[in-house]
Amino acid sequence: MALVTRAEGRKYLTPLVGFLLLFLGFPAIVNLIYSVSTVTFETLRSPVLSGFGNYVAVLNDREFWSSAWFSLRFGILTASAECLIGLFLAIFLAPLLSKRPVLMAPLMLPLMVAPAMVGLMYRLVLHEFAGPVPYYLFEWFGDSPAFLDIDNAFRTLVVVETLQWTPFAFLLFYMAYSAIPLDVREASSLDGASPFEIVRWIDLPLMKPTLVIAFFIRFIDGFRVFDNVYALTGSGAGGSTTSLSIYIYQAFFKEGAIGKAVAASVVLFLASFIVLHGLNRLAGRRKL
Amino acid sequence: MVRALRWIVFAIAVLAMNFPIIVTLITSLKSQRELSTNPGLWISQPTLDNYLEVLTQTSRFNIYAYLLNSTVAALIGTGLAIALAFPAAYAIARSEAGKRLVLPIVINLRAVPLIIFAIPLYMMYQWLGLLDTRIGLGLILTIVNAPLALVILVNAISDVPVELDEAAKVDGASSLQVMMMIVRPVIRPALVTTFIFGFITAWNEFLFGLMLTTSRAVPMTVGASFFFAASGGGVKWGTASAVMMLGALPPALLGLVMYRQISGSMTAGAVKG
Repeated sequence: MALVTRAEGRKYLTPLVGFLLLFLGFPAIVNLIYSVSTVTFETLRSPVLSGFGNYVAVLNDREFWSSAWFSLRFGILTASAECLIGLFLAIFLAPLLSKRPVLMAPLMLPLMVAPAMVGLMYRLVLHEFAGPVPYYLFEWFGDSPAFLDIDNAFRTLVVVETLQWTPFAFLLFYMAYSAIPLDVREASSLDGASPFEIVRWIDLPLMKPTLVIAFFIRFIDGFRVFDNVYALTGSGAGGSTTSLSIYIYQAFFKEGAIGKAVAASVVLFLASFIVLHGLNRLAGRRKL
Repeated sequence: MVRALRWIVFAIAVLAMNFPIIVTLITSLKSQRELSTNPGLWISQPTLDNYLEVLTQTSRFNIYAYLLNSTVAALIGTGLAIALAFPAAYAIARSEAGKRLVLPIVINLRAVPLIIFAIPLYMMYQWLGLLDTRIGLGLILTIVNAPLALVILVNAISDVPVELDEAAKVDGASSLQVMMMIVRPVIRPALVTTFIFGFITAWNEFLFGLMLTTSRAVPMTVGASFFFAASGGGVKWGTASAVMMLGALPPALLGLVMYRQISGSMTAGAVKG
């Protein structure tokens, strides 16, 4: 006998489900309707159905594709860098951290600060007169690149994002690494395996599910990036730092192109739905 | 030898990843005069003047209002998320309901870019009069927090031995009584962790604060950027740094004190979800 009947269970689920339907279900429907309507700020409550013109406009917009390309590259690059560095730190620092867990605290600190705030902080760090990085580069090398101009902004943002979120990947890997029983490693060490071989043939295969999950979590977060990019460049640098989230934000708030913004939202929703669906099936099959 | 190398790598990692925080802290302790001549990482005459200025000069930028807005909205967004997620988690852990549809959908919500709901929510808020209110911001933060709260609480309740529920049932307790009087006290640590983590997440949220508030309910993350809006003479880096430190302090302190519990909840969704 179940401790809680199905009917009671439904009752307990109702508040959460109702809240989500109101705040996400209703907006989703509005998105769908407005995306096939002609609507402006003046006619906000009386959209006129007009077919798929908004979608055509979005899909023909070069800005849309360049922002999608930005998000994709940004997501893949940052997720890869974060996972590689995080993996190295987790395995290399494990002997240190297992004896002194308090050392975890400074490594996790970047995760506690708002990405928007970190973006603002880098405005100071990289500022040509007030920032220490250009100051020391001038002092030592006599020259400093313009970190936020059209050529360098993308690279700068990748580094900023990676430095803040590597701790997250590191944390997942460290947990997974610590969960591997010590005797597995000791046994292979007795059999003559070198530390490198143990990592390669014992640790990494056992940590594979965590590697996949960490990569996807970081990819998704990188793909939808908004806060730190907006705070640091405000999509400036000649539009070279417009992520998809920023594209939607600007279409709505700066251009007032509601139909276009909403259609882009639906496209983004479909894209993330497809990715998530694939990921869930993968996870279900492998029992990650 | 290797041990020394590990310490060096640790030091480099900590310095590199916390570099913006370190620079901001140093800058916030420099006097206006020193700032114009010394952008380096040392301070010749440390001073608290910037903090004093930020905390006393409230005519143009009222930092107390931003801090209060963030606190209230984050408390609503965390408290409500737990109030909604706890009974739902109980149902999912202990009954047949919600396992197949609600749990997977809510978990996946974490990965959906929330901006896709932002525009209709903006219109809805305009219509309901919730734009630029702390309650309105708090309700959105509830959405942000609900998925992870549900995952952590489902995991926590699943770990509670069923015998505990059964014993109470035999004694005649209803399922509501079991939930509130047996399960709730047992999983209290998980509730505290969820609260702390949710509060940090809510405090650090930026997108909805930017879109849904303009003046009265502006949270700290958005308010901090106002100090950068150059008003003749450019940014005053000393005061701007002090503002950023004050804005980053509450979540950073909570995080440093509770880092052990938080590392658990950060990975909860990833490992078990």
